[in-house]
Amino acid sequence: MTRKPAFVGWFLLPAMLTALGLTIAMLTVLQYSVRAYIPGSLDVGGFTLDNFQDLLKGLYARAFLNTVWLSFKTALFGLLLSYPLAYTLVRTRTAWLKSCILIIAITPLFLGEVVRTYSWIIVLGNSGFLNSLLLAIGLIDKPLQLMFTNTGVVLALVHVTMPIMVLMLATGLSHIDIAYEKAATSLGASPFRAFLTITLPLSLPGVVASVTTAFAWTFSAFATPQLIGGGRVSTVATLVYQLGFSSLNFPFAAALSMAGLAMTVVLLAALKRMTRPLQNVGTH
Amino acid sequence: MHKAIALTLLSASLMGISSANAADKLIVSTWGGSFRDLIDEAIGQEFTRQTGVEVEYVTGGTIDRLNKAKLAGSAETDITFTTSHVGWLYANDGLFEDLDMSKIPNAKNLVHQAKLSPNHIGVWGYVYTIGYRPDLVPEDITFDSWEDLWNPELEGTIALPDWDPSHIIAVAAKLEGADAEHWEAGQDKLKALIPNIKAFYTNDANSQQLIATGETPVQLLLSMNAYHMMDEGVDIELAMPKEGAVLGIDAMGINKGSEHADLAYQFMNIALSPDVQAKIAEINNGSPVVTNATVDPEIAKLPGMLTTAEQWDATLDTDPKLRAEMTAEWRKWFSENIMAY
Repeated sequence: MTRKPAFVGWFLLPAMLTALGLTIAMLTVLQYSVRAYIPGSLDVGGFTLDNFQDLLKGLYARAFLNTVWLSFKTALFGLLLSYPLAYTLVRTRTAWLKSCILIIAITPLFLGEVVRTYSWIIVLGNSGFLNSLLLAIGLIDKPLQLMFTNTGVVLALVHVTMPIMVLMLATGLSHIDIAYEKAATSLGASPFRAFLTITLPLSLPGVVASVTTAFAWTFSAFATPQLIGGGRVSTVATLVYQLGFSSLNFPFAAALSMAGLAMTVVLLAALKRMTRPLQNVGTH
Repeated sequence: MHKAIALTLLSASLMGISSANAADKLIVSTWGGSFRDLIDEAIGQEFTRQTGVEVEYVTGGTIDRLNKAKLAGSAETDITFTTSHVGWLYANDGLFEDLDMSKIPNAKNLVHQAKLSPNHIGVWGYVYTIGYRPDLVPEDITFDSWEDLWNPELEGTIALPDWDPSHIIAVAAKLEGADAEHWEAGQDKLKALIPNIKAFYTNDANSQQLIATGETPVQLLLSMNAYHMMDEGVDIELAMPKEGAVLGIDAMGINKGSEHADLAYQFMNIALSPDVQAKIAEINNGSPVVTNATVDPEIAKLPGMLTTAEQWDATLDTDPKLRAEMTAEWRKWFSENIMAY
């Protein structure tokens, strides 16, 4: 039996300290969530569960549902757009095409979410790039309202999540031995049938991982729904900001945060359970 | 070994020099961007010229800085610039020193609206009013009255700040014959504005982008920001409704436990000197909070500039202490009844 070198334990120290800090922060948020708000002060009052009771009001319940719906649509459309890119990235033998896809897919990661979101404001506005183009080619006769709508927010969120989805899908696809597809085609399957019956099923673990990541990422997204939504698209994150940083009602904001965290955990657990049969596809 | 000792001594010496420099600085907490530049150009540089003490700026959002001050436990900055009602939160939580007004002789000329609390005083005034793109709104709408915001022709054109509904709440209450203290009187009026509201802007940059692109050609705007946007080339006009524009005052206070309180008093006194107040008006169209400042007539006549007692008194002035206490309730009601629809 080989013993691990003593220094290996030290390598874990930064991660453990980070986890400890995160735990303490979460416990602080938890204790804020069960304290009363004192108007005109940053101090909080005694124990109360009223903050959680208020979450049942229509606005907050709608924000939760809207966040789940936005996250679902972002993950779905992100997958539909990212999969072909990732597939081409992995399978193409053309160097310039590979480089082109890498640049298109990865470059947005070098820009912050806020910068990317501001760019989308320019694209989606009534006199923005998209509407100007559609008007110019005569597809529409008046600008489409994309800003301050769920559609606009989903568009921008898909762009924000695509780079990471492409990377995760490409990683999954690159582990599929191309010999399987060659075997299928040599036995008479068309390339499309080979893709449907061999490649797609074998890439499902990557699909599940990327969809889960996109869903969780979108659930906590703040800058994009806040700026593109313009206060008309309520999500859990934007409400936490509004309650905490505009109203200074930190106990209620904390209760909303805890409920959002609980919902994310439940949804991801449910997603994991539903996709369990797919997670080990292709493993030997 | 000798090298290690030498390095240690060198490091200790450098840290000593660094601490000495820190002691000679006045640290000012403020917003970033044009407001930080305004404070530096109008007040900080004059303070350094008079005292030889450098000014260091710590910048951040209004609430971020408040939270940091609360969590810090001890004073990390010497002076804080904030809005008048948030100043009350600093005061209520014991984050500001009680001011010894005898150390700020220039404060004797303060307009009464700028005498905010025993802990903080105004440094410049402004108004929240209607800013609009004249090329994108119907010509017959002149915004002579706040009532014009409710004109059906403005359906889906207006943006309001998303962090503070107190201004439009005060306006709605006024139009219904009440005031901010009795704000419930304006609730139905506010609900009637919903069809005309297109968006809620998150910050000044967001506001500027929305009005510059014509996305929201009518906004409830801070006058100083409007003039800043005009300087950047955005075609905006500021209206002065007959009911009065909504008064805003930015304030300053000395952080509790500041080790440079005497320097902080000098800084505040310089900030209230007539020349510096005139310079604030010149640079950023901030209204002087003292009665003895002489503002360039061309600037003084601009909409939103407050240079006479009559102009100050004609504004809609919501008690900052009331705003501090009511912000959460107003914001919650606004979220649930206006923003959600």
